Amino acid sequence: MGGLKRKSSSSAKALAKSKKKKGPHLPNSILKVIANQKRPLNSDEEDDDDVIGSDDEHGGDLYEYEEGVPEEESRKNNRYDRHENYDYELPEDFEDENVESEDDDDGGNTDNDEAEGDDDDDDDRHTRMLQSLTGMPSAAFEGESKSKPVLFTEAYPEGEFNPTRDVLEGKNVLTEEDFLAPLEGTPGYQKTSKQIARMRKDTKHVVHAPLPKPQRERLERKAVIGLVDEEFSKWVHLVKKNREAPTVYFNQDVDLGYSTVGAIASEFQPRTEFEKKMASVLNDSEVSEAHRDDGARLLELNEVSMEDHIKDHNHIAKMRSLLFRHEFKSKRIKKIKSKTYHRLKNKDLKNSSLGALMDPEMAKEEAMRQEAKRVEERMTLKHRNTGKWAKRMISRGLNVKYDGPKAAIAEQLQMNANLSRKMNSMRDGSSSDESDDEEEFNDGSDEDTPSRLIAKAKEKTLKALEDDEVPNAGLMSLPFMARAMKKKNEEANEEAKRALEEYEEWENSGGENSKKSVTVSGRRVFGATAKVEAPKESRKDSDNFYDDSDSDNDMARIEDNNIEPVRDNASPARNTITETEFDDDVAGNPASKTTFDVAMFASGSWKKMTGSKNTESKKASKKTRAPIPQAQDKKGPRDEESGDSESEAEQMVDGVLTSTSKETFEVPSQAELINRAFAGDDVLDEFEKDKEEVLNQEVPKPEKPVLVPGWGDWTNIQKKRGISKQMVQKHDAEKKEWEQGLKTRKDARLKHVIISEKVDKKAEKLHTTTLPFPFTSKEVFEHSMRMPIGPEFNPSTIVGELNRPEVVKKTGVIIKPVKFEEVNPNDEVDDEHPRNHQKQRPKKKTSRRQGKVKSK
Amino acid sequence: MRIKTISRSVDEFTRERSQDLQRVFHNFDPSLRPMEKAVEYQRALTAAKLEKIFARPFVGAMDGHRDGISCMAKNPNYLKGIFSASMDGDIRLWDIATRRTVCQFPGHQGAVRGLTVSTDGNVLVSCGTDCNVRLWSVPRPSLEDSDLSSEKSTEVVHCLFFLITLYSLVLLFILITSFFLSQPSAVYTCKNALLAVDHQFEGDLFATAGAQLDIWNHNRSQPVQSFTSGSHSVISVRFNPGEPDILATSSGDNHISIYDIRMSSAARKILMRTKTNSIAWNPMEPMNFTAANEDGNCYSFDGRKNEEAKCVHKDHVSAVMDIDFSPTGREFVTGSYDRSVRIFPYNGGHSREIYHTKRMQRVFCVKYSSDATYVISGSDDTNLRLWKAKASEQLGVILPREQKKHEYNEAVKNRYKHLPEIKRIVRHRHLPKPIYKAKAESRAMNDAKRRKDERRKAHSAPGTVVTESHRTRRIIKEVE
Repeated sequence: MGGLKRKSSSSAKALAKSKKKKGPHLPNSILKVIANQKRPLNSDEEDDDDVIGSDDEHGGDLYEYEEGVPEEESRKNNRYDRHENYDYELPEDFEDENVESEDDDDGGNTDNDEAEGDDDDDDDRHTRMLQSLTGMPSAAFEGESKSKPVLFTEAYPEGEFNPTRDVLEGKNVLTEEDFLAPLEGTPGYQKTSKQIARMRKDTKHVVHAPLPKPQRERLERKAVIGLVDEEFSKWVHLVKKNREAPTVYFNQDVDLGYSTVGAIASEFQPRTEFEKKMASVLNDSEVSEAHRDDGARLLELNEVSMEDHIKDHNHIAKMRSLLFRHEFKSKRIKKIKSKTYHRLKNKDLKNSSLGALMDPEMAKEEAMRQEAKRVEERMTLKHRNTGKWAKRMISRGLNVKYDGPKAAIAEQLQMNANLSRKMNSMRDGSSSDESDDEEEFNDGSDEDTPSRLIAKAKEKTLKALEDDEVPNAGLMSLPFMARAMKKKNEEANEEAKRALEEYEEWENSGGENSKKSVTVSGRRVFGATAKVEAPKESRKDSDNFYDDSDSDNDMARIEDNNIEPVRDNASPARNTITETEFDDDVAGNPASKTTFDVAMFASGSWKKMTGSKNTESKKASKKTRAPIPQAQDKKGPRDEESGDSESEAEQMVDGVLTSTSKETFEVPSQAELINRAFAGDDVLDEFEKDKEEVLNQEVPKPEKPVLVPGWGDWTNIQKKRGISKQMVQKHDAEKKEWEQGLKTRKDARLKHVIISEKVDKKAEKLHTTTLPFPFTSKEVFEHSMRMPIGPEFNPSTIVGELNRPEVVKKTGVIIKPVKFEEVNPNDEVDDEHPRNHQKQRPKKKTSRRQGKVKSK
Repeated sequence: MRIKTISRSVDEFTRERSQDLQRVFHNFDPSLRPMEKAVEYQRALTAAKLEKIFARPFVGAMDGHRDGISCMAKNPNYLKGIFSASMDGDIRLWDIATRRTVCQFPGHQGAVRGLTVSTDGNVLVSCGTDCNVRLWSVPRPSLEDSDLSSEKSTEVVHCLFFLITLYSLVLLFILITSFFLSQPSAVYTCKNALLAVDHQFEGDLFATAGAQLDIWNHNRSQPVQSFTSGSHSVISVRFNPGEPDILATSSGDNHISIYDIRMSSAARKILMRTKTNSIAWNPMEPMNFTAANEDGNCYSFDGRKNEEAKCVHKDHVSAVMDIDFSPTGREFVTGSYDRSVRIFPYNGGHSREIYHTKRMQRVFCVKYSSDATYVISGSDDTNLRLWKAKASEQLGVILPREQKKHEYNEAVKNRYKHLPEIKRIVRHRHLPKPIYKAKAESRAMNDAKRRKDERRKAHSAPGTVVTESHRTRRIIKEVE
C-alpha cells in the first residue's frame, strides 16, 4: 500500500479536486492516490466512471488509514499531507521498494535519513534562533518545527499560476464535464448541461486568442490610414482650385461689414416723419398679428379718420361736378344749328389724324406732308444728333453717364428713324417707280432689255437736248461761266445728236453684237462714260431707297453729290451721251454705240490687298489708272465708291478697249493678256540671280586654292609641286561641306522660293534654345509671348491684370492657414485672366494630381 | 459736307485735381510699335539687374542669448513677437520691430529643445532635456515695448533735468528688468528628456516628442494620450494647421509617421535611408508636407501616397536642420548645418534664394513670419537673424504707381526668365567658399556615380540594372 502511495506522491493533485465525494469522508490525498492508480491519465467520462467504481472497491481498505491523517486534513496544503504519509510508511517497506527513478527517491531518502538523525538538534537550534530573533517564547514555534519536515519539489506552490507539467503538456486538462460531474442529479443539471452542449456547438461566439502585436498594429494602421486619407481627400478640390488660380489673394480678409440686404435692413433707423409713421405701422404688433391670422381683423384696424373721410368726399364731389359740366357743354353745342360752325368744327377734326383715316384724299395730303418732312429730315439730318447740344453731350460722354441725355438722344434717333422711314403708302411715287425699273434692269438678261434701254436713253437724250437752259442764278449765272457753259452745251448737243444716230442704227441692226459679247469670258465693267442730270437724280433716289440710315453710305452719297456736278462741268461733252446707268454688277449687254471702256477682271492674276483700308484701295485704283489715263477720270471715283460700298475683291487690271460697236471685238485670252502686260520683264531670271546671291551669302562657296607667286615656296623646288596636297584636300573638304550645306537648306528643292537661314546674332539673344519647362508645345509658348504686357502697349484697364503677381499679399497682414470650404470641382477657374496661358502647369503634374481623386 | 477735325472733349483732358497727372492717350495699334518685344526684353534685363542691385536681404540680428539658439516659435496672433530658446535653458521673447528682448522666461535647467505658442498667442509651451514641460502665459504686447527708444530720446531732450532723467532711466531699467522675468504658469514633469513640442492649431492640445509621443492638455499634468513606436526616440513633431487632429513626427530610426490623435496608432509610416530632422505641413494644402532630411535634401510628400516623394528639393550641402512653410503655402525656408538659409518654391527642385553671412554659424531653426514677408533664423552663434523673404523687396509704404512699376518689372522678368542673359543674371548667387566647394565636389561625385551607373547599365543585360528615380531613391519603404 505504501508503495502505491509513494508512486502517487508525484502525481497530479489537481485531479483530487475533481473527485466525487460520494462515499464516506476520505482525505484528499487518499482519493488522489486512488485516482492515480486506477486511471491512466485519462479525462474521458467513461474512465471517470470506472474510477468511481474502483473507488468503491477500495473503499473498505482505505478506511483503515483514516486515523493516520487527521492533522493533514486540517491543513489543506497538499505538500504537507504528501510528506506526512511518506514519513509514516517509510520504515516498513523501505528495503522492498523498487526504485524507479534513482535521482528522485535516493535523494529524497538520504535527505530524510539525515533529517531523521539531526531532527531534534536542528529543531532545537531553530527554535532557539527564532526565539532570539523574535523574542517570543519557544512554545510559539513548537508547532512549526513539528510540521517542518517538508519536501519542496517545485519552486513555487502549485496553483492557477503555476500549473504542473501535465497540464502544460496538455494532459489531464480540466473540461466542462469535470466541473459538471458533481452537479449530476441536482435540479438544474439538465439545463446547464444542455446549455453547455449548445455552447460547444456554437462556434461563432468563441473568443479567440488575441493576434500577435505587430499584426494587430498593422491592422490598426490600415484602419487609421483609411480615415486619414479620407480627411485629406476632402481638400483636393480646394487645393486644386488654389493651385490653378492665376493669382492667390491673401490681403482681402478685410471686414466689409454687411453682407446681405437683410443685414442692412435690420440696421435701418427711421428718421423723417414719414419713415417714423411707416415704421410705427410696420412694427405694430396688432397689425402684423392680424395679417398673420386671416386678414379679417385688418379691416377693423383700417379705420379712417374723419378728416380723411371729408377729403375723399370733397374730391368725389368735385369730379362729379366736372363731369356734369362737360355733359352740359356738349348738349349745348349739339343744340347749335349754325352749319358754318359745324363745318369748321369738322375741319378741325379732320385735320387731326382721326380724320385722315376716314378720307382718302386727306390721307394722301397727309402722306405728302409726311414725305416732305422725311425729305427735310434726310436733308438736314436734324435728328441725328448733329445738333450742338447732342454733339456736346456725346463728346463729353455724358450720354453714357446720365440717363437724361441718354434718353433724349435715343428719342431723337428714334424720331429720325421714324421720319426717314419710307412710307408704304407712297409706293406709287416716282422714286419707287425708278427702283422698279432698276430691278428689272438688273435682272434683265433677256433680249428686249437693251432695246428698252436704248429707247430710254434716246428719250433722255432728247430731253437733255431740249432743256439746255442756262441757270439764271448762282455761280452759273456769271457771264464767263455762262459762256463756257454754252460752249460746252453745244459740244454736248452735238455729241448727243451723234449718240441719237447711233441709237437708231443700233435699233436697226438688232442685237447680234450683243450676243457675241455676252459669250466673252471674264468680267467686264463698263465705265459709264458720263452722266446726265436726270439719271443722277434717279440714282440718288435709288440710293436713298437702298439704304436707310447707314452713315457710311450717307457719306458716300454726299461725296457723290459733291463730285458729280464738278465732273459734269469738266466734261460736259459727255453729259449728253448716255444715261446708261451701269452698275458694277450689271451683267447685261451694253447696247450703246458710243465708245466705252472695257476693263477685264483677271481674277487670278491680281493679288488682292488684304488691308481693307481706303488708302490702299485708292492706291490700287491709282495703279490702275496709270496705264489708262483716259478711262481714269470717269472710273476713279466710281471705283472708290464700289470699294467703299461693298467689294474690292476685284480690281481692274488692264486692257483698254475702245471700240465702236460696228467693229467686232475679240477678247484676248487671259494668258495672252498677261504675256502682253509683262512683256518687258524677265522675272524668272532675276529671281534665280537673287537666289544665287543669297545662297552665296549664307553658304559661301569655298575659294579655290590659288598659287600665289612668292607665297609658300622657298626655292624653285616648290614650284614644281604646284598647289600643296594639303590645300587641295582642305578645299575638297570645304567643297563637300558647302554642297552638303546647300543640300540641307530648306529651299534646296523649292525652285521658286528663297528661305533665308541667316542667323541674326543680335536676335539670337531673344530666343531660347530649348522649350521652357512648363510648356509642352512651341505654339503655346509662342502664343504666350505674343502680346506685350507693358503699360505703353495696353490700355490701363488691363495692365494691372496682365502684370498681377501670382501671390498678392500685404506686409503686416497675418495669413491664416486654409479653412475648409466646399468647392465644386466642375467649376472652371476664371479663364478671363490674360496671363493664364503663361502659367500653364506642367502637364505631368496635373495629370498625376488629377489621378489622385480626380484632380488637384 | 463734313470735315473731319481733331476733336477732344474737355472732359477727358481736365484733371480732377491739380496734383493729378495729365492724361496721355495712346494708340495701341501694334503696327505703330514694331519693337515692343525688344523693348520689353530690355526692360526685363534691366529689372533683373536692378533686382541684383537692390538685393539686401539682411535686416538685422537679435543678440542676447548666451548659447546657441535651439528652437524658435512665432506668435500666430502677433506679428512682432518671436520666441527663441537656447541650449542653456534661456527663453526670450523678442520684439522684431525694435529687435530687443521684451521678456525672459527663466526656469529650464538644461537645453530647451522645443517651443510653441498656442494659436491665440496666450500660452507659451517649452520643453527641454530637463524632462520638464513648462507653460508660460505670454505678456500682452504693450505700446512701450516698441516706443522705448523714442521715449528715451524725448527724455534726453530735456537735458536741463539731466539728473532726473538719469534717475528715471535707471528706474525704467529696473522696471524693464523686473518685467523681463516671467514665471511659468505650470510645470509638468516627464520620465524622459523631451526633444520637440508643437501646439495644435486652434485647440488646446499640444504634443511633446521624446522617448514617446505625448499629447497634453493645457490643464492636465499628465499626458492625455501617448503613442509609442519602436525603441527610438521621436525627434520632431508638427501639427497639421489645416487638419488640427493630424500630426507628423520623425524619429531616430529614420521613420516619418503620421498620426491622427483621435486614433490609437500611427496612420502612415515611411522608412527612409536617413534621419528626418524636421517636418513642416503646407498650411494651404493640408495633405502635403515637407521633410527636412539629414542628407541635405528636403522631400515633399503627399500624406496619402508615401511610397515616393512628390518633389525632392536639393541644394543644401549638409543636413537640413529645420524647415518652415510660408503661410502662403507657395514656398518654404530651410536652415542647414552648412551655415546657410535657403528659400525653396513648394514645387521646385532647387532653391530660389540663399542667405548667408560670414558670422552666421550652423543654423538650427528657421521661421517664416506670419505675413510671409520675413524670415528669421536662429543659429549656433547665439544670434537670431531677420531676413527679408524677397531679397530685393522694397519695404515701407509703397505708392500705387511704385507698386505698379514693381509688378510690371516682376512680370516682365518672369516672362523673359528663360532667355539666356536674364536667366544667368537672375540665377547668379554668390556662395561662401565652403558651400561652393562642397557643391562642386558633390556634383563631381554625382556625375561620376551617374556615369558609372550608365556604363553598368550599358554592359549588363537589359532590365537587370534599374536606375531609381530621385524621388524614391532615399525612401526604403512605406511601413505596412
